[in-house]
Amino acid sequence: MRPVLLKSLSPLFLILLIVLCFLVQKDLAIKREHFLEKTYMDYTLPSKVSGIVAMEFKGIVSDFLFLKVSTFLGDKFMKRLMLGDRHAEYIYNSVDVITDLDPWFWDAYLLANMVLSWDFRKIDKANTLLFKAREYRTDDFQVPYQIGFNYYYFLKDNTNGAKYMMEASKLPGSPAYLTSLAARLFMYQNQYKPAILFLKDVIAKTRNPVLKKRFETRLNTLIVLDDLEKAVDKFKEIYGHFPLKISDLVEKKIIEKIPQDPYGGDFFIMKNSRVFTTSKMVFKKRKPSQEKQFDSSN
Amino acid sequence: MSKKMIALIILTFKEGVRDRALIGIGLFSVFMMGGALVVVSLFMRELHKVSVDINLSAITFAGLLLTFFVSINLIAKDMDKHTIYCVLSKPFSRSQYIWGKFLGIMLLIIVAFGILTLCSSATIFFIKSQYEVYFKGFSWFSFYTAIYAELLMFFLLNAVVIFYSTITTSSFITLLFSISTYIAGQTIEEVVLFLKTRGAADMVLSEGINKIIDVAQYILPNLSVFDLKVQSAHAVSISNGYLFSITAYSLIYTMILLLVASFIFTRRELK
Repeated sequence: MRPVLLKSLSPLFLILLIVLCFLVQKDLAIKREHFLEKTYMDYTLPSKVSGIVAMEFKGIVSDFLFLKVSTFLGDKFMKRLMLGDRHAEYIYNSVDVITDLDPWFWDAYLLANMVLSWDFRKIDKANTLLFKAREYRTDDFQVPYQIGFNYYYFLKDNTNGAKYMMEASKLPGSPAYLTSLAARLFMYQNQYKPAILFLKDVIAKTRNPVLKKRFETRLNTLIVLDDLEKAVDKFKEIYGHFPLKISDLVEKKIIEKIPQDPYGGDFFIMKNSRVFTTSKMVFKKRKPSQEKQFDSSN
Repeated sequence: MSKKMIALIILTFKEGVRDRALIGIGLFSVFMMGGALVVVSLFMRELHKVSVDINLSAITFAGLLLTFFVSINLIAKDMDKHTIYCVLSKPFSRSQYIWGKFLGIMLLIIVAFGILTLCSSATIFFIKSQYEVYFKGFSWFSFYTAIYAELLMFFLLNAVVIFYSTITTSSFITLLFSISTYIAGQTIEEVVLFLKTRGAADMVLSEGINKIIDVAQYILPNLSVFDLKVQSAHAVSISNGYLFSITAYSLIYTMILLLVASFIFTRRELK
């Protein structure tokens, strides 16, 4: 009797175990997320070690490490958590290791450049990696183009900016506008136009949705800044002097209304009559609790 | 090549094909290649690089599993289980046995490589058709060149396996020695290059260790010369001269190992 009962109960028991396993797994996934958030190892083994350990699987190891870095960044971007110098170091060191394993890996160079220059303003570190890329990707116009842009836009060094943009324009596959952009870089001094072109080019080739959205927000802000600067110039043309506030442009009906900053800041006119935003194109922190949590995890 | 040799090659090949581990290795590699279809979608733009990395790694990994778990069984188990007496009672010389076994194993690996190359080509072709824009930096020629170089590495590695099988008495020791030689062969170049850097100059290494590394780099096979996976992933062209050199290196080293193995084996007292 008993074996028959056990036999008939065993499928039921199995179903129960499967359901239980599913529930435990679901709970574990949540706990694991918290666990990783608190104990995330933002450290990559130096290439002297990882290069030896990876043996002949350097390519696939570099892919894995790149995925780890981009997931780390994607998570921080999505939660709009502030990134500190320690994170800049982590990104720089990781990409340095990744590109030691695979020195042609452009995705890694590009990600590091975009984040180190735009988010951390660590232009020297971004350029160090780009110059490393230049040694290997000798036929790729994107490398000198990015270096040139960093010199021009962030370091305000038009001479080097034009030099590298010109170098890029001579390489195969470079966009047609690059030659004229390089030639007129001095004319565009302190303008948002080259940055808009640059970001459009990056967005067109980016597949990662989180990064793409981030770049698009930045592009939209730059377009608004560019439009506002054009309006400021128009104001000067009509009234012979620059406006003091953005609201002056609305009052004189040059623009209909003050546009919104996608980063949540306010646009203002600087002393040199250029337009910028109080957000500095960085998202505001969402909640103080999140910041606290972030600090404790580090 | 005599008929007897051909018969031994085919026998070794058939014996290898009958090994059930082969199905597992094949399935694992095909799953890994299939995984590439999902993994590539997580990357930004260099999808061709990721596809090539995963597929070449799958082929290499399958080759390593074949070498360490199937090839070793094909020769070392002959001695472990004393089945070698049956084989050697046939009109074979011992060196013919060594060469026949090696060529049979290589036939197995070449066939396995052929099948895996077909599977990986199909995977890459499919990914390429899905993301054509992101495959501009891809070259089929570079991809197949890397597979060829990998095959050369397996010629050498299997000769190492045969060599150890003739000097040891247990298949486990052969496995241990072969894996150690593979790891050392893959890393020796990196270690030597590291020791030449400025950072390493500050490290105090004893004379003895320096001497060992110096000697090891000439005795151990430098297996990293056959690794063209990263270059293939970016379609970096490899000169014909380099390809010729690695082919010559693999063939010469393999022949030396097999000749020494034959020499030892003909003089070995089988118990």
